[in-house]
Amino acid sequence: MQNYIGISALLIGLGMAGMALADDDDCRVPMANWQPREAVQKMAEAQGWTVRRIKTDDGCYEIIGRDASGREIEAKVDPATLAIVEFEYDDDDDRGRKAAPSSSTTPPANGLFTPGTKPVVK
Amino acid sequence: MNIPLTALALTTALASPALARPVTMTTNMAQYGGDGAYLALYVTDAQGAYQGSLWMAGDKSKYYEHLSDWYRATAGDAAQIDGITGASVGAGQQLTITLDLADALFDAGYSLHIDAGVEDMRNSPSEIVVPLTSSGAGQPVQGARYVRDFTYDL
Repeated sequence: MQNYIGISALLIGLGMAGMALADDDDCRVPMANWQPREAVQKMAEAQGWTVRRIKTDDGCYEIIGRDASGREIEAKVDPATLAIVEFEYDDDDDRGRKAAPSSSTTPPANGLFTPGTKPVVK
Repeated sequence: MNIPLTALALTTALASPALARPVTMTTNMAQYGGDGAYLALYVTDAQGAYQGSLWMAGDKSKYYEHLSDWYRATAGDAAQIDGITGASVGAGQQLTITLDLADALFDAGYSLHIDAGVEDMRNSPSEIVVPLTSSGAGQPVQGARYVRDFTYDL
């Protein structure tokens, strides 16, 4: 009985690990079905994007560049269909918490610094 | 949770300016052939418990999870690095930081860590781990992957 429980727990654990690794924004396309980078470039240009870089990530193409209004973008694209799997503006994460330059804010009161002093960085 | 207590003790110790000293930390980056590196400089105590951050090089919070030891200790808490965040550091470049650091951190088992991360390259948590001691000042420590060497001077 104990062995049965142990093996079940192991299998459930392995299953969960597998699920954790299988992100929704991954692409699983055999290499034979991949469209060439030139097709990705054309697709991006058709969207009005300026491409800075095309790379592969999680089995997808990833386009890094700017949209028609000049905002920095990252778009994951299915390598076979060129459908957009994930799209984000590169500045999204920093909205609301733009890390302040060291000259405009005091360091955190973590006890490591002399209070009120600021690091000088070159 | 001993971090607030430690912080309180250190803060109390810092009430007198004589108990802090200017420390210059120099990080020379290797020619690793990639984009600018994100670096987290932070301090742990003798038991390896996170005490606080000294500097974050790199200002996009979405990449902080790649500084994995720092991220594990802080859960990416922005308050840890508000006011001590700057630009990422390119290959072959030098980052020099001068700050008034608590005397209590030296010769007391504390260590300075540097986690490093570069886009599309392997993470390098605790790339540098150097004990904060008076005798260790001025002694360059070699990094494992992205940092060529690191030195602190008193």
